[in-house]
Amino acid sequence: MKDRLAAAVTQSRADYTEIRVERTWSSAVAFRGRRLETATVSEDQGGFVRVLNTGCGWGIASFTSLDELPAMVARANELSRAVRVDDPIRLAETPPQLADAILELDGDVRGVSLAEKKQLLDRYNGAMLAVSNVIVDTQSSYRDEVSEVWYVNSEGTSLYQLRPEVVVSGTAIARRNGTIEKGLESIGLRKGWNSVQNFENQFRVVAQRAVELLDAPRVRGGAYPVILDNELAGVFIHEAFGHLSEADFVYENPQARDMMTLGRRFGKRVLNVGDNGAAQGLRGTLPYDDEGTPTQDTPLIKEGILVGRLHSRETAAKLGERPTGNARAISFRHPPIVRMTNTYIAPGKKGAQFSDLIGDIKLGVYACGAFGGQTMLESFSFTAGWGHMIRDGKVAELVKDVVLAGNLFQTLDRIDHIAGDFTWNQMGGGCGKGGQFPLPVTEGAPHVRIEEALIGGDV
Amino acid sequence: MIDRLLDAARDTVDGADALWRREEQTAVAFESGRLKAAGISEEAGLNLRVLAGGRVGVAGTTAAKPDPAELVGRARAAAELGEVVDLAFPGPAASTLPRIPTFFDRTANASLSELIRMGRLLVERLSRPDCQVNVAVEREVADTAVGNTAGARGEYRATGIAVTADLTRIAGDDVLMVYDQYVGADMPSDADLEALVRSVETRLTAALTIVTAPDGSLPVVFTPAGLAAVVLPLEQALSGKTVLQGSSPLAGKVGETLFDTRLSITDDPLTPGRPASRPVDDECVPSRATGLVERGVVGRFVYDLETAARAKTQSTGNGRRGVFGKPHIGYTNILFRGTDGAHGGHTGVLGGGLIGDIQDGLIVDDLIGVGQGNVISGAFSHPVGLAYRVQRGEITGRVKNAAVAGNAYDLLKRIGGFGTDGRWLGSRWSASLLLDGVSVASR
Repeated sequence: MKDRLAAAVTQSRADYTEIRVERTWSSAVAFRGRRLETATVSEDQGGFVRVLNTGCGWGIASFTSLDELPAMVARANELSRAVRVDDPIRLAETPPQLADAILELDGDVRGVSLAEKKQLLDRYNGAMLAVSNVIVDTQSSYRDEVSEVWYVNSEGTSLYQLRPEVVVSGTAIARRNGTIEKGLESIGLRKGWNSVQNFENQFRVVAQRAVELLDAPRVRGGAYPVILDNELAGVFIHEAFGHLSEADFVYENPQARDMMTLGRRFGKRVLNVGDNGAAQGLRGTLPYDDEGTPTQDTPLIKEGILVGRLHSRETAAKLGERPTGNARAISFRHPPIVRMTNTYIAPGKKGAQFSDLIGDIKLGVYACGAFGGQTMLESFSFTAGWGHMIRDGKVAELVKDVVLAGNLFQTLDRIDHIAGDFTWNQMGGGCGKGGQFPLPVTEGAPHVRIEEALIGGDV
Repeated sequence: MIDRLLDAARDTVDGADALWRREEQTAVAFESGRLKAAGISEEAGLNLRVLAGGRVGVAGTTAAKPDPAELVGRARAAAELGEVVDLAFPGPAASTLPRIPTFFDRTANASLSELIRMGRLLVERLSRPDCQVNVAVEREVADTAVGNTAGARGEYRATGIAVTADLTRIAGDDVLMVYDQYVGADMPSDADLEALVRSVETRLTAALTIVTAPDGSLPVVFTPAGLAAVVLPLEQALSGKTVLQGSSPLAGKVGETLFDTRLSITDDPLTPGRPASRPVDDECVPSRATGLVERGVVGRFVYDLETAARAKTQSTGNGRRGVFGKPHIGYTNILFRGTDGAHGGHTGVLGGGLIGDIQDGLIVDDLIGVGQGNVISGAFSHPVGLAYRVQRGEITGRVKNAAVAGNAYDLLKRIGGFGTDGRWLGSRWSASLLLDGVSVASR
C-alpha cells in the first residue's frame, strides 16, 4: 500500500501532496434495556488527498473507492488551483518520518467472537438492571476497532500505523412517576479485549446513583466555592482552556493572538497545564499525528503563565512556532485540524489532599463526574453527573442538575488549590470540533478547587 | 446493486431490506475572510438487514465493489445473536409514492466558481474591521435506493446546500460569536442571503453593549436558535423507542392536553424545498406527515419498522439508516407552530416582536452544552452563549456570565406568545417563544 501511495504522490503535479488511506475493522454490540439492539461487524475504508500549490489554497478530496486514487489526486490539484490566495499558505518544516508504528493490541478484538462480546456487555448491562426495579431503561454499548492508517507525503514521509480502540459504556435510567434520572459510565481505551473485562462494579455504581438522584434536590443556582473531582476537572480543562490553546483559533486573528499572548498570566502559581499525545497507552495517544508529525508533551500553562499552544504544520508556520503533532482527523472523510490529545492539569504539591481543599469551605458544591462540556471560547459549560453540597468543611447531601457556567479568564484565575491525587480519566465518546466527532481524547487531573464559580439552577 | 443484493439474500434468509446511497459533496471554506480551501468528497455505501429464524441482523460496507454473498453472510451471523422481532417488510406501495421535489438542478449544477462567488459575497457583506468572518458553502447531491424482498422499491435523488457564516469579535477579553446559516434543497435566493446577512448584523449590533444580567424567575424569549434546549426533551420523549423503553414522560399520555393549546408539533417529510424531505423512508415506507402534538394534545409518536412491530402499531415512515448499524427512528422536518395565525417572515426582528411587554427579562439566542444534561426529564440548565437583556420592552444589551434553567414540560404548559420570526433552522421550523418563569442565575 505504501508503494501504491508513493506512486500516486510521485505522479501528482501539485507542489505538496499528502495521501492518507484507512482501513478500519470494527464490531459493535448494543443493548437497550434487556433487549439486544445490534451486534455487527463492519469494515470501512477510504482515502483522503490534500494538495497545496504556491499562491493557491488547499485542494481536498475524500473517497471510498480506492481505485479512484490517481483521479482524486488530479481532482485535488484542480481544486487547489481554483483557490487563489494573496497570503501564501506555508507548512512548518518537519523532518521526513519513515516508520511502522504498531500500538499494542492487548487482546486483538478481531479474534474474539461477537457472541463473547455480547456476553460481556450483557454482564455489564445486567449489573445496572439488577440494581433496582426503578431502573426502567438502560443503554449499553460495546464498540471496538482496529484501524490501519497509511500516510505518505511528497516530502518523503511514509508511515503505517495500527491503532486499536475499545469502548464500553452504559447509561442507567431510573424513573419514579414523573421524575427521571440517569447515571453514566464510560470507559474508552486505546487497547483491546483484555482491557475491558472487569467493570461490573462501575456499572452497578452508576445505576445506584441514578436511583439515589431520584430523591436528591436540584442544586440552587448561584455562585459558590466549587471542588471538581478528577473526572470533571479533566473535562473542565479541556473545555475551558484546551480549545483556546488550539492555534487555529488565533493564527489568523490578531485580536485573538493578543488575548492569548504567550507570557500572559492565566492562573495562580499552582496551575500547570499541558497536552501529551505521546503519553504511554492512553486513548488520545498516537505516535504520529495525521500530518506525519511525531506527537509530544506540550506545556501550555506553567505556574499560571501561558507558555505554549497546540499546532498543525500550517498554524506553526504562520506563528513562527514549532509543530506539536496535534493535527488530527477523525477519519479519511475529514482534513486534519488542530486538536487536543491527552490534556491534563498537573498535580499540585505532593501530599496535597482532598481534605486540604474542602476544610475551610462553609457552603460550597462538590461537583462530580461528567455528562459533558461545551465551549464557546471565552464562555463554557460543563455538566456534572452529580454533586454534593459542602457544608462546614464536609461533604453533605447529594444534589442534582449541577451545571457550571464558566468564563475562561475568571474561572482559571480562581483555581486556588490543586490536590496531588492525579488520575487519567479514559472515557468513551470524544471531542467534537468543526463537524468532526467523536475524536478520541483523554483528560487527566487531580481534585481542583475554584474559589467561586457560577452554578445554574433555580434561584 | 440493491436487486443483486436482495436476490443473494432471498435464498438464504426469510426476508431482507437494503439501502444504497451515494453522496457527493463539494465544499469551499473562507477563513478569516479569505478563501482557504476547496474540497470534494465521494462516498457510496450499502446497508443490509436480514430476517433469519425470526431474528434480525445487519451489515454494511463502503467497499467499492461489495460482494453480496459476503454481506449476506455477515448479516446472517449478526442475526444469530439477534432478538426475535415480528418484523414485516412493507409490500409494494398501493399507489405511487408521494411526489415531492427533492432534486434541484440549480443546486446540482452549481459550479465551484458559483459556490466561491456566493461565499465571497457573504464575506464582503459581513466584513468589518473589528471582526473575523468565516464562511462555508457546502453542496451535496445524493442518490438513494431502498428495496426489500416483499417487493417494495424506492429511489430518489436529492440536493442540499448549506451556507454558514460566523463572525467572531474579540475586544480585550470579550469574545463574541454570532452565527447563522441557510440550509435548503434549492440554492438560496438573493433575498435568502440578504436575510442571513441581516440576521447576523442585527444580533451583532445588539450585542456590542454589555449589560449586567438580571437574577430570578423571569420572562424569557427563546429565539428559534435558543429554543433547542426546550424542544430537545420533547423530541426524545415523542420517539416511539423511548416510549417502548418506559423512559418517556409522554408514554401513556396520548390524547391528554399537556401543553399550551396553541402549540402543535408536526413531523413532515413532504415539506417542499427541505433537504430532509423524501418520498419514502429508509425502510421503504411511503412518507407522510405525523401530528406529534396537536393543539396541546399529545398525538402520535414516531416509529420505524422494528419499534412499530414491537409496539403493535404502524411505522410512521421515520426509519433512518446509515451505511453501518441498523435502522433507527429519526425525525425528518419538525415544525413547532402556534395555531393563532401565521408567524413567519419577520426574521430581522430580534425577539420576534415578543418583548414589548417585558419589564425585565432576557432574549436567549444560544445556550452552551445543550443535550448534555438529563435531557429526557425535561430539566435543563445552561450558561448563555448569546443572550440579551430586555428592560421596559427594549433590548438594552448583551449579558454574560448568566445561566438559565427550567423544565420544558412546565414552561410549555403556558406559552406567553409566538413570535413573528418563524424560520427554518436546519430541519426544525419554529418562531421565537415567550416563556414565563425561567430561572436566571448570574454572578
